Amino acid sequence: MAVRPIRRVAAGIAAAALSMSVLAACGGDSGKPVLTWYINPDPNPPPDFKGTFGQAGIAERCSNDEYTIETQILPQSATEQRIQLLRRLAAEDKAVDLMSLDPVFTAEFADAGYLAKLPQELSDGMLQGAIDGASWDGQLVVAPLWANTQILWYRKSMAEKAGLDMTQPVTWDQIIDAASDQGGKVGVQANKYEGYVVWINALLQGAGGALLSDTEAGADAEVTVDSEAGREAAKVIAKLAKSPAAEADLSVSNEGTVIGPFAKPGGFMVNWTFIYNTVKPDTATFEDLGYARYPETVAGEESKPPIGGINVGVSKFTDDREAALKAVECITSEENQVTYAVETGNMPAREAAYEDAGLREQFPPELLTLWLNSIDTAGPRPPSPYWGTIVGAVLNKWHPASSVGDGTPKQSASFIKNVLSGDALL
Amino acid sequence: MTETATETQPGPPATSDRSRAENRLGWKLVAPAVFVMLLVTAYPMLRALYLSLFQYRLTAPDDREFVGLSNYITVLSDSVWWRDVGVTVLIMVVTVAVELVIGFAFAMVMHRIVFARGVIRTSILIPYGIITVVSAFAWQFAFSLNNGFVNGWLPGVGADYNWFGGTWSSLTAICMSEIWKTTPFMSLLLLAGLSQVSEDMLEAAKVDGATWWQRLFRVILPNMKAAIMVAVLFRALDAFRIFDNIYIMTRGAQNTESVSFLTYRQIIEQFELGMGSALSVLLFLSVLLLAFLIVKLFKVDLASARGEG
Amino acid sequence: MKRMGISHWIGAVAILVWCLLPIAWVVSLSFKPVAETAAGSPRFFPKDPTFDVYKDVLQNDDFLLALRNSFGISIIATVLSVAIATLCAYAIARLDFSGKRLVLTIALAIAMFPVVSLVGPLFDQWRLFGLFDTWPGLIIPYMSFTLPLAIWTLTAFFREIPWEMEQAAQVDGATAWQAFRKVIVPLAAPGVFTAAILTFFFAWNDFVFGISLTSTTAARPVTAQMAFFVGPDQFNPPVSTLAAAAVMVTVPIVVLVLFFQRKIVAGLTAGAVKG
Repeated sequence: MAVRPIRRVAAGIAAAALSMSVLAACGGDSGKPVLTWYINPDPNPPPDFKGTFGQAGIAERCSNDEYTIETQILPQSATEQRIQLLRRLAAEDKAVDLMSLDPVFTAEFADAGYLAKLPQELSDGMLQGAIDGASWDGQLVVAPLWANTQILWYRKSMAEKAGLDMTQPVTWDQIIDAASDQGGKVGVQANKYEGYVVWINALLQGAGGALLSDTEAGADAEVTVDSEAGREAAKVIAKLAKSPAAEADLSVSNEGTVIGPFAKPGGFMVNWTFIYNTVKPDTATFEDLGYARYPETVAGEESKPPIGGINVGVSKFTDDREAALKAVECITSEENQVTYAVETGNMPAREAAYEDAGLREQFPPELLTLWLNSIDTAGPRPPSPYWGTIVGAVLNKWHPASSVGDGTPKQSASFIKNVLSGDALL
Repeated sequence: MTETATETQPGPPATSDRSRAENRLGWKLVAPAVFVMLLVTAYPMLRALYLSLFQYRLTAPDDREFVGLSNYITVLSDSVWWRDVGVTVLIMVVTVAVELVIGFAFAMVMHRIVFARGVIRTSILIPYGIITVVSAFAWQFAFSLNNGFVNGWLPGVGADYNWFGGTWSSLTAICMSEIWKTTPFMSLLLLAGLSQVSEDMLEAAKVDGATWWQRLFRVILPNMKAAIMVAVLFRALDAFRIFDNIYIMTRGAQNTESVSFLTYRQIIEQFELGMGSALSVLLFLSVLLLAFLIVKLFKVDLASARGEG
Repeated sequence: MKRMGISHWIGAVAILVWCLLPIAWVVSLSFKPVAETAAGSPRFFPKDPTFDVYKDVLQNDDFLLALRNSFGISIIATVLSVAIATLCAYAIARLDFSGKRLVLTIALAIAMFPVVSLVGPLFDQWRLFGLFDTWPGLIIPYMSFTLPLAIWTLTAFFREIPWEMEQAAQVDGATAWQAFRKVIVPLAAPGVFTAAILTFFFAWNDFVFGISLTSTTAARPVTAQMAFFVGPDQFNPPVSTLAAAAVMVTVPIVVLVLFFQRKIVAGLTAGAVKG
């Protein structure tokens, strides 16, 4: 009884081994270098889409007589992507040529020496916020492919009823009060994850401060969260957490959980650009959808919206560096950025791309301008090779939002210092 | 009945041909298993031990420096470590205790059921076959505000109750998920043990007038000691290393972090190999200590056989 | 023969509810359209059940490849692991040789070392041997980590089998090997199948090795492949897709368990333990 399955299994293995070796022999025959581009997963294409979608499509279009670009998918979560890439680069794996990186990984990868030098002209025409997130030590180390930004989405009816003039910049205090009065909610990201630090960072920078400075010093960076700006940020968070406008699941809220309450009972939310396409099917909410610049932390001081996106880097250990560098130029060209934006809704990192007619059909021009400005004047998260550690340390003291108070900036400052110097366990 | 002595006696060990042949046969049978086990773990374990003496970050290999036992001292003097140990021990004790009771009940049912045998036995084992990550997601969703049904079904719990907003409620959700998933493991091992209890002994006890309760405690349980020990041992050691459910449900927030999760964060999220290795070694030693305690508690010597039952 | 009383019925129903309710929940999640979970829907049953999610998963080639990998790797690991463990456990329970307690301790120690810190060095080792992203590259670690449990379970099992059985066979003229095959193996069948199920499920459920020791669908198992599923947007976990994949992956498991559970109980009433 046990023999038959074993025979079948053995046959199966033999067949698999044979087919794998045949496939290996088939590939890589023409002598053209094959560049492997490790990409983060793109959203699913709409059902009626023809052709190759997203980054895979870019890879196809950029493949030419000199080289072919093939894509390999990484896991969905940014943390997993980082782990996979770091482990292989630490082993100097030659199979990785190009990679799609979240901007917060730029510093870590560059500082570790895993990225090949890029021609600095690649940054021409790119928006400032995107360039900031792609540089380390004054140099451009990865090429921005697309840029993401957060804006304030709100229900027009509720803002009207609350008497808010949304044509002027609003502050957090104003929207929290407005929502509380009207029985609405203010949606933020306050789960114990990096998204929360994005919010904290935006509040800090909006008040003129920063989490750290002199980040090139690595573990010896100066921790500057304990400042007037830090206390302003803590005030906003504490106010929201204690107000009726806070969502019930504030301590586990993320970009996705806030969509439900935004539809019902409505209110305000800070979120990335994908919201426009996500809310579209819900016509009732969509008609009432308003958008404005990220709220100010302190009245009168321009807010610094968060910035995200994806940058493309070249591995230092690739065998085909020339080809890879040319490929990067093609991948981040204006046409490809526009096509990608029209397909996926992920906004371009180049200023000129926003003029494109196809893009202007899909999104209202005012919205595009708002995004353009937000990216150009964004407040990037401090580029530090220790960003992961810093996030963990910040979260340790600032989560849950309901525990944030006046003393939080000071506590977190000393904790971050201790963790960076290895005196405290994170 | 004559029997070659198996327990060591004072005096020179028997060196007859028979026992030497037995020695060789024994090692030949054991060798493949030992080889496979060590192939995968010998180098990594030694490397972890070695790295634990360094301050080493994978992405900054040039900054590596030897710090001796300083990593260990940092860990053992940090309240985060002790808090996590407390949480982990709590989860372990609660889940193993509950699972022992439920698992035993299930084992009895699987042993005795006559109708719908296949269905019931299969149903009991299915939770163990569901992929852990999916099970954790499913339970997290069940308890979540926006997408779950638990708030709707439990009387007295408001629709706005955030299970993951506090320590005890989060731990409850995590324990529920863990217990549901791994009770089959326990019940399977207990069933194997239960099946070895001699029917004759039970009949004899019944004839002697023993009640169900007495039969359970005087006949069944003592004869299952080895199986119970293996079940509790492996389950406790697994529970001490709980990771998946915490990773998915709370990511360690609200003081629900386990020792395993702490180690994961050091090694994988921060690539702090030195500190992470020290944590691994400490985790390993704690687990060994736990195993030692459990084995001593049960007073069962698996290696002694040959009719000494 | 015991009569089935009311308490047995109640017990049976309680068991079914306990075990299957969360399964029903997973199934229900798999029928919820992606838009519904994205918008939030705090109810047990889906508002508009749909097969769309299943269609998406079935059209995902990577997923099907991963399924093939999982099955193949898990089955091979199980067969090899149980075979080796049986030999080892028999030796420990029956034979007297120096260091058998040492073997048991080593086995336990290996099973207890945190996997998370083994993954890095193992990754380096496998790249050196060329086993990265291959089936053996996963089979061998799975065997390493399931051997301890299999050995301990089978040892406990063998220990309970009366020594008289083998002695009787040997008196009848059988060699040690024949005694093993004809007398012990049938008696040990419940233990063997128990160890087999536990091993299979360990290999089946594993995620850490699956994602760290593979880079393409050549060897990536289903658990790791699920980490590549995309949700409705980059921030929402693809719960419906995961649920649908899990359901599809569990159906063959149910069949497997249905088959094995009879084998576990096979030796029970065979009268083997009667004097």
